Amino acid sequence: MSGETNSYEIVRRDPRAEWIARNRLHPLHGTISVGEEAEVRGPSGLIRKNPHKVGFIGPNGIKRIDRLKGNAAAAATGRRSGGAAQEVQLPLHKVENPDFSIFVVPDMVGGRLTSQDKDILGQAHKLARSDDGESAVQGVVVAVVFGELKDDSLDTAGVDRLIHLDGEEYQGYCPEQQLTALVHLDATYNPQNWLFPDSVHGGTDLGSRLAARLGERPAVQAWQVDKKTTVCRGASGSTDISRPTPRILLLAEECADPIDETRHEVQPIELGSVPRVISRMQDMGQVSVDPNAIPLAEAEFILSAGNGIHNWDQFHEAAEALGATEGASRVAVDDGFMPRFRQVGATGTWVTARVYIAVGISGAIQHMQGIGQCDKVIAINTDAGCDMVKRAALSAIGDSEEILAELLKLAREHKAGQSEGGDQNAA
Amino acid sequence: MFFEWLHPVLIATALALAVIGAVRRANLWRAGQPDQVNLIAGLKAMPKRYLHDLHDVVERDKYMSKTHAATGGGFVLSALLIILVHMLDIDSKILAWALLASSALMFVGAIFVFKRRLNPPSRISKGPWMRLPKSLLAFAGSFFILTLPAAGVLPEGFLLQAGNVLLTVVLTALIIWGMGEMFFGMSWGGPMKHAFAGALHLAFHRRQERFGGGRSTGLKPVDLSVVQEFNPGTSEQQVLGVSKPKDFKWNQLLGFDACVQCGRCEAMCPAFAAGQPLNPKKLIQDMVIGLAGGDDSKYAGSPYPGKEVGNAKGGPEQVITEGLVSAETLWSCTTCRACVEECPMMIEHVDAIVDMRRFLTMEKGDTPNKGAEILDNIIATDNPNGYSPASRTNWAADQNLPLMRDVQQAEVLFWVSDGAFDMRSQRILRSFVKLLKAANVDFAVLGDEELDSGDVARRLGDDAAFQNLAKRNLETLSKYKFSKIVTTDPHAYHCLRNEYQDLGSDALNGVDVLHHTTYLNELVKQGKLKLDSFNGGTVTYHDPCYLGRYNGEYEAPRELLRSLGIQVAEMERSGFRSRCCGGGGGAPITDIPGERRIADMRMEDVNSTGAELVAVGCQQCTAMLEGVVEPRPEVKDIAEILAGQLIEEVH
Amino acid sequence: MPLNIVSLVSVGRHPQSGRERRAEQDGRAVELGMNLEASQSASMTVLHAGRSVEPVLRNYAGMGLPSLEVLELSEQDDAVPSLAQYLKASDADIVLTGVRAESGESSGMVPYLLAEELGWPLVPRIADIVSINNGVAEILLALPRGQRRSLSVPLPFVASVDNAAPAPRQSAYGPGMRASIDASQVTAVTDSAREQWQEAPAKPRPKRLKVVKAKTAADRFKAATAKPQGKAGKVMKNESAQEQAQEIFNLLLEEKVIK
Repeated sequence: MSGETNSYEIVRRDPRAEWIARNRLHPLHGTISVGEEAEVRGPSGLIRKNPHKVGFIGPNGIKRIDRLKGNAAAAATGRRSGGAAQEVQLPLHKVENPDFSIFVVPDMVGGRLTSQDKDILGQAHKLARSDDGESAVQGVVVAVVFGELKDDSLDTAGVDRLIHLDGEEYQGYCPEQQLTALVHLDATYNPQNWLFPDSVHGGTDLGSRLAARLGERPAVQAWQVDKKTTVCRGASGSTDISRPTPRILLLAEECADPIDETRHEVQPIELGSVPRVISRMQDMGQVSVDPNAIPLAEAEFILSAGNGIHNWDQFHEAAEALGATEGASRVAVDDGFMPRFRQVGATGTWVTARVYIAVGISGAIQHMQGIGQCDKVIAINTDAGCDMVKRAALSAIGDSEEILAELLKLAREHKAGQSEGGDQNAA
Repeated sequence: MFFEWLHPVLIATALALAVIGAVRRANLWRAGQPDQVNLIAGLKAMPKRYLHDLHDVVERDKYMSKTHAATGGGFVLSALLIILVHMLDIDSKILAWALLASSALMFVGAIFVFKRRLNPPSRISKGPWMRLPKSLLAFAGSFFILTLPAAGVLPEGFLLQAGNVLLTVVLTALIIWGMGEMFFGMSWGGPMKHAFAGALHLAFHRRQERFGGGRSTGLKPVDLSVVQEFNPGTSEQQVLGVSKPKDFKWNQLLGFDACVQCGRCEAMCPAFAAGQPLNPKKLIQDMVIGLAGGDDSKYAGSPYPGKEVGNAKGGPEQVITEGLVSAETLWSCTTCRACVEECPMMIEHVDAIVDMRRFLTMEKGDTPNKGAEILDNIIATDNPNGYSPASRTNWAADQNLPLMRDVQQAEVLFWVSDGAFDMRSQRILRSFVKLLKAANVDFAVLGDEELDSGDVARRLGDDAAFQNLAKRNLETLSKYKFSKIVTTDPHAYHCLRNEYQDLGSDALNGVDVLHHTTYLNELVKQGKLKLDSFNGGTVTYHDPCYLGRYNGEYEAPRELLRSLGIQVAEMERSGFRSRCCGGGGGAPITDIPGERRIADMRMEDVNSTGAELVAVGCQQCTAMLEGVVEPRPEVKDIAEILAGQLIEEVH
Repeated sequence: MPLNIVSLVSVGRHPQSGRERRAEQDGRAVELGMNLEASQSASMTVLHAGRSVEPVLRNYAGMGLPSLEVLELSEQDDAVPSLAQYLKASDADIVLTGVRAESGESSGMVPYLLAEELGWPLVPRIADIVSINNGVAEILLALPRGQRRSLSVPLPFVASVDNAAPAPRQSAYGPGMRASIDASQVTAVTDSAREQWQEAPAKPRPKRLKVVKAKTAADRFKAATAKPQGKAGKVMKNESAQEQAQEIFNLLLEEKVIK
C-alpha cells in the first residue's frame, strides 16, 4: 500500500487488503497495519484522524479500539486471572451403580498427588469408560491412599471413590501392612484392575508386592494401555512388549492424559477392619543426610564453584547455609580447591539438579554438557557475556564474594525466622 | 722378590673376581623371561651402537661427551694394556708407552669428572658415585706410575729399592682401590656396573629397531592364553603383565642395570616436574633393587616427589607394587618418552611402566580413578566415553563424506579417531576434511565401522581390550583397498603404524600410515593447496610426543607453518625435547595428584616465547592446552590454521 | 555359623551400544556381597540362571570371584522356579539382586517372587547393609535424591540393590578368565506366557505437549501464536549485591530447594 495519500485520487476500497487487515493469521497481516494509518498528515500539513481506520476487527467480528496503544498485555492478563478466581464449575462425573472398579494406589508424595499419580488416574478413567459402545457397563475409579492426605484436588484429578487408610499402623515405612490392606481390598472388592505408578516413591514396590502375593504377572513400565492390550518397555527401556492387559499395571510417567474436564465425587468408602500384620522390617526413620554426602549425580540443589571463587571458606559456608550439595568446575578441582569427585561436567559427573547455582564458572563446553539436564541454572559471574549467563535462568553480574555474603545473610535470616515460627507453632 | 709377582697376582685376582661377579650378575638377569635376541649379531653391532647411537645422546652435553670419551676410552685401552704389560709381563717399550698415554688420557678425563662432581646438579645421584672420580684418578695415576719403569722413564727396579717401599705400599694400595672399583665393582654392583651392563644392553636391547632411527613399540602383545594354561594344582602361576621383577624379559632387567644415574630422565620428566610421585631414575634404580634384592637405603638421588627414600624393599620374587614401587608412581607416567629419548644408556622406562600397569589392570583390577570406567566404556562401546557407537559419524552429518562401505576403495583412508565424539576435536576434523576436499583427494572414512584405536586401553594396561579392538579394526581394514591411512590423532597413528603389525594381519601391508601434517605437507609441496600467508602474530609449535619422539616427525608441521610464512618461535623445549602436554598414557584419566599441572607448565613454556598462537598437531594436546585457564595464547591444530588460510576457488 | 550370602547376577545391556555387559545393579549386589564377605567373614555365592557359556559371567568373575554357580537354562525358560528351588535347598541368609534386569522383561519381579516363595521379607532398593548383629541386619534404603531410610530386618531376607549402593569394583581380565563356572542342570520351566507377547525395538515416546484447552477462539489463537516464554534468562547487571542476592533467594524459595 502506498504511504502517500493523494487528495485527487478517488478513494477505492481494496477488499483483499481489508480482509488481510482483519485476518491476523494472514502472512501479510503485518505489512498492512490499519492502526498506524489512523493518523495521517493531511495535504495542509495538519494531522488528520481517520476514524474509520482506528482500531481493528476483533475475533468475533466486532470492531475494537485499543486505547492502551498495545500496552494491554499486562492489564489483560491481570483481568483474566481475576476472572479465573471465579472458578468455572466443572461438570460432576457421577457413578451410581458401577459394574466394575479400577483401583489406583497413588504415591501421594508428601500427602499430595504427583503428576504421575494424576496421569494414572487419567489412565484409570480410560479403562473405566465404556467406550466400546456395545454395552453400558461403567467402571468406578477408586483411589487407595495410605497415611496423610493433604491434597484437596482429588475431585478434579478423577477420584470417584476414596479409601483412606491412615491408622497409626500406616505411619512411616510399612510396605508389609500396606500389602495386607491391599490384599484385603482385593478380596473384598475384586477390582478389575490395580494401577500403580511405576516410580521410585514406592509405587513400584507396592505393586510388585501385590503382584507377587496375588500371583499375577504385572505389566511394568506400561505406557500404552487399553482394555485389551498393553505396551510396556522391556530390557531397560530398549524394547516394547505388547501383551494382553493384565490385572496389575505399573504405569510409566505420562502414560495417559490427566483428567481436566470433569469433577468427581471422592466418595469415601468406609472399610471394616483391615487385618494387621507384625512387620518384620522395622522402620528406624529417615536418616538425615548431609547435602555433601549426596552423590553429585543425584543431588537436587547444587552450589558449584569455579575459577571465580577466591574466598573458599565463604563458599563452603554458603553451601552449608543453603543446604546445597557442593560442585566444582574442572579448574577449581585442578587447582586443588575441591576434590575430583566434585567435578561437574562431561569429564566429571553429569548432574541432574533441579537448581544449579554456578558461582564464578564461565561455562566451558564440557561443563555445559554436564549440566544439560538441570532445570534452573543461576549464574553468579563478573562477565555478563559468558556462556553460563546465556544458559542461566537468572544471572547476577558482580563480585561473587559480595553476593554470596548477602545470600549467606538471607539464608541465616530465613533459618532464624523459621525456627522462631516453629517455636510459636509449638507454643 | 715380593713385589715382582704382587702386581700381576693382584690384577689376575681382580680380573678373576670380576668374571665371577659377571657370571653372578648375568644369572640375576637370566631370572627374567626369555626374549628372542640374536646374541652374535647384537654383540657385533654393539661398538657401532656405542659410538653412534649412544654417543649421539651423550653428545647433547658437550662437556660430558668429551670427558666420557677421554675417561672411558682411556680406561678400555689401559685395561687391555695393563693385562698385557703388567699381568702377562710382555716386555715392550711400545706397549708401555701406549699404556702411559692411555692412563694419562684417562687421568685427564677423570680430572674433568672430578670437577663436574665438585658442585653437581641435583639430577645427578651422589653416594658411591661421588667416589668414582677419585677411584678413576687412583686407577689411572697408580698404573701410570707403575708403568714408568717399564717404559724406561724410571730405572728398572726403581720401585723395589729400599727407600721406595713406602711409595710402593701406597702405590699398591691405590692399585687395589682402583682395580676394586674398576674391575671388581664393575660386575659386583659398583658405579662401574654401567660399563659392563651398558655394553651388553646395547648388544641385546629389547627394541633393536631403535638403533639407526627405527620407530617401533616395545609393547608387545601380551600372551592372553597364559590364563587358560593356569593349573591351580601347581604353584607356578603365570600372570598377565609384570608382577615381580622376574616377570620382565631378561634383557629388560639387563637394561635397568645399565643406568648411570645421570638423572637426565628426571630433568626431562614432566610428571617429576609437576610434583607427581614419579622419578624415572629412581624407578629404574628400584627395578635394580628388585632384580638384585635389597632396599633403597643406599640410593643417593632425588626421591619420588613427596615420598621418602629408604622404605622400598624388593626382590626378584616379590610383587613390585607391594613394597618396592607404589602404584601411584606407575600411574603418573604420561608415556611421553622424554626419559627414553634422553637416556644415554638407551633404557626403556615407559615400556617397563606399561608392563607393570598391565599387571595392575589385568590381574588386580586396580586402575585408579576413572580408569575402570573408561576401560568398561571402551569394552562396551568401543570408545572411551561411552557414546553410542552408532553416533560416531554424527559430526560429519553435513560433510557428505564417502564411506568405505560404499566406495570399497580410495586413495586415502581418513582415520577419524575418537575425536569424532568431542566437540572441540570435531573442529579439527572438519578443517582437515575441508583441506582434503580442496586438494581433490580421493578419500573415504570408515564411518561407524571405525573403532577406538586401543591406545588408551593399552597404556592403561588392558592389553586384552587393545588386542580385541586392534583385531577388529584390522579385520575392517582388510575389507577395503587404499594406499594410505591419514589420521589427525598421533596416538591412533602410532598404534596403526607401529603396534598393529604385531597382531598377525596383512591388512596394513604396503599401506603408508601418515599423520595429517605429513600428508598435508606433501599436498602443499605438490601445489594442491593454495594458501594465503598468515599474519596473526607470533606462532609457536608444540610437538606432540606420539608424533615427535614416537614417530620422528618434527619437520613436516614446521614446514607447513613455514609455507604460510610463519616463523616459528621455538620453545626452549621443542623437537625431541618437547615437553608433554600431560594428556598421554591415560594420565588425565588416572589423574594422580601433583603440585602443579603439566599442561600449565607447558603453557608457561609457550608464554615465554611471547606467542599469541600455539600450533598443535594432536587433539589431546589441544584439549590439554586449552584446559589452561585464560588468559593464554590461542590453541589451534595445524589443520585448522591451514583451513583458515585456504584460498577457495570459486567455481 | 558364618553368614551365607547369595548374589544373583544377570546379563546386562549397555544403554548406548546395546551390548552385553555386567549389569550395574547386579554388579553392586556382588560388590555388597564381597564387602560383607570381608567384614562379616561371610561366605558368598554368585548365582546366575541362564546359559553358562555367557561371556558376561567372566566380567562378574573378574571382580575377584574364584567361581560362579550357574543354573543352566535357556533364554525362554522362567528363572524363578529354578532359583527358588536352589535357594530353598541352600542355607542362604541374604539374597541380593539388582532392582531390575537390564535385558529381557526387566519387570523387577524376581526378588519379589523369590521372597514370596521363600516367605522371607523383601527389602527394596537398598543402598548399604550397615551391620549384622545377632541375626538382625541394619540396612539403608535408597530414597530419591540421595535420601536414606534406616531399617532393621531379621535374617534371612531378600534385598534388591539400588544404584546408590557402592559402585562395583573393576573387573580384571585375568581372574575373570581363570574363575571356574560351575553349571548345574535343572529342570527348566518354559515361560509360556511370554511366548505370546510381541517384542519390538522401543518406539520413541512422544513428549507431552502443553495442550491448551481454550474455550474461545481468542484463547486458542493466543496459545498458538504466543512467543515461547523464558528463552533468555533474567540478567541483573546494575542491581546492588543485596538485591541480586534477594532475587536469587526468592527463586530458591520458589523452587522449594530451601525449606
